[in-house]
Amino acid sequence: MREMNKQSPEPKNSLDLTMALRVLQNAGRQIPQLTGNDADIEVQSIIDALCDLSIHDGLTGLVNATFFHAVLAREIERNLRTGRACGLMVIDIDHFKSINDTYGHNTGDVVLQSVAARMKNSMRRMDTAARIGGEEFAIILPECDPADAIHAASRIHSMFNPLVIPIGQTILQLTASAGLVWTNSNMPINSIALVSMADQEMYRAKRSGRARLCYTQPESTVISQTERSALMALKLEGNAHGR
Amino acid sequence: MADEIKRTRRIAIISGKGGVGKTVITANLAASLSSLGRRILVIDADLGLANLDILLGVEPKLTIHDALHGLCTMEEAIIPTAKGFDLLPAGSGLPEGALLTSTITEQLESTLSSLESRYDAILFDAGAGVGDVVLHFADLAHEILLVVTPEPTSLMDAYATIKILHQQYKRNDFLLIVNQANPAHFQQTGVALVDHLRNITSKFLGTDQPVRLELIGSIPRDPAIPHAIMHRQLLREINPQAPLACLINQLAGVLDVRVQ
Repeated sequence: MREMNKQSPEPKNSLDLTMALRVLQNAGRQIPQLTGNDADIEVQSIIDALCDLSIHDGLTGLVNATFFHAVLAREIERNLRTGRACGLMVIDIDHFKSINDTYGHNTGDVVLQSVAARMKNSMRRMDTAARIGGEEFAIILPECDPADAIHAASRIHSMFNPLVIPIGQTILQLTASAGLVWTNSNMPINSIALVSMADQEMYRAKRSGRARLCYTQPESTVISQTERSALMALKLEGNAHGR
Repeated sequence: MADEIKRTRRIAIISGKGGVGKTVITANLAASLSSLGRRILVIDADLGLANLDILLGVEPKLTIHDALHGLCTMEEAIIPTAKGFDLLPAGSGLPEGALLTSTITEQLESTLSSLESRYDAILFDAGAGVGDVVLHFADLAHEILLVVTPEPTSLMDAYATIKILHQQYKRNDFLLIVNQANPAHFQQTGVALVDHLRNITSKFLGTDQPVRLELIGSIPRDPAIPHAIMHRQLLREINPQAPLACLINQLAGVLDVRVQ
């Protein structure tokens, strides 16, 4: 595609400009203005627009599931290399189906867009928010130790409980259930398995009454007072313990 | 890592607490294993405060640091000792934070793989504590041998080490040597101490993946040991027939089963 210039105007793998422009138009994207002054720049701007389209969810503007998994895989790799953990938060809107059934899909779409807007406003610049399913969202929290991830995810989740959305004369009050996990450089894992773990935490939140964030605290390696007392109970005759 | 079957067994000798006799035990066990016909390499894995070379009376020109920083190959840094085994010495004085970069850990791993064919067992003489270097070498090893003494502080540190390796590195199997036990009943002391640790680990460290502790043996307090250290000799060099030297040979025999 890049070879399409003044010297070779009709290469074999040429970009179908008409179709590309139609795709962008249908997606509601801004159409690059074609002046004919510089074919390279114009084609590049169309390619850029198509690339941008290919990684984003058309409805919410968040990144899509394909790109999300690529980012998550990169962060898992980074964790293995540097040891710095990465948090993964999965958010699912509670009772979303009944909203669709009661108010229609257009209202459902507005809800999804509102959730996406809240996510964008509440996350850090380095985080990546994605729509990974119908009403399921995820946020990648790079360089977060468990304590940092819990803090960040709690702050994000607080934006959804409740999420108030005015729809005409009606005011919807929604909640969301969320699950949080983090990478562990001692336990290599792929992005799909990590999302599955986060889903498990999210389902636990649903089972526990919804509208909450669930995560499993990492096991503490600190020796408790009970362990200490139990250890020191040993009496060895003639050794330091028995003296 | 723990369950991999490899021809060359990597054994990390660790302790948690310092001063429990880890380096002395490593050197003596390595010599005994060598006398059993095993090809043994000892890596001084106390990268910050190495002193195995001093104990063995050798003066290395190159160290593992030189190799890891590209100044020589790992093979060039390995020196044969008069004790029957080879030594990969380390340097002293480098702060821990400067040691374990990702490049170095990758290099270490590949070096260990390249040495597999030359040795039956590679022993890591790790430093004290539960720093990144100690935990990394323990993670690289097939067997983790924990040296513990009857002192409460040693017991506490041994338990803390087991807990970290179990919870963070998913290691379940630990070999133990109880050192500096009361000479009057050192065998019973070892059994009692390890039984006690077993009770504590089974009570506090979960049942899904239980911790398994195996006592290799107990070593009594003996003035022959400080004497040997002062003279930079191994116990078998001072008197191969002495009970303590024979005891070390027995422990090496137990360990040898795992090297085969």
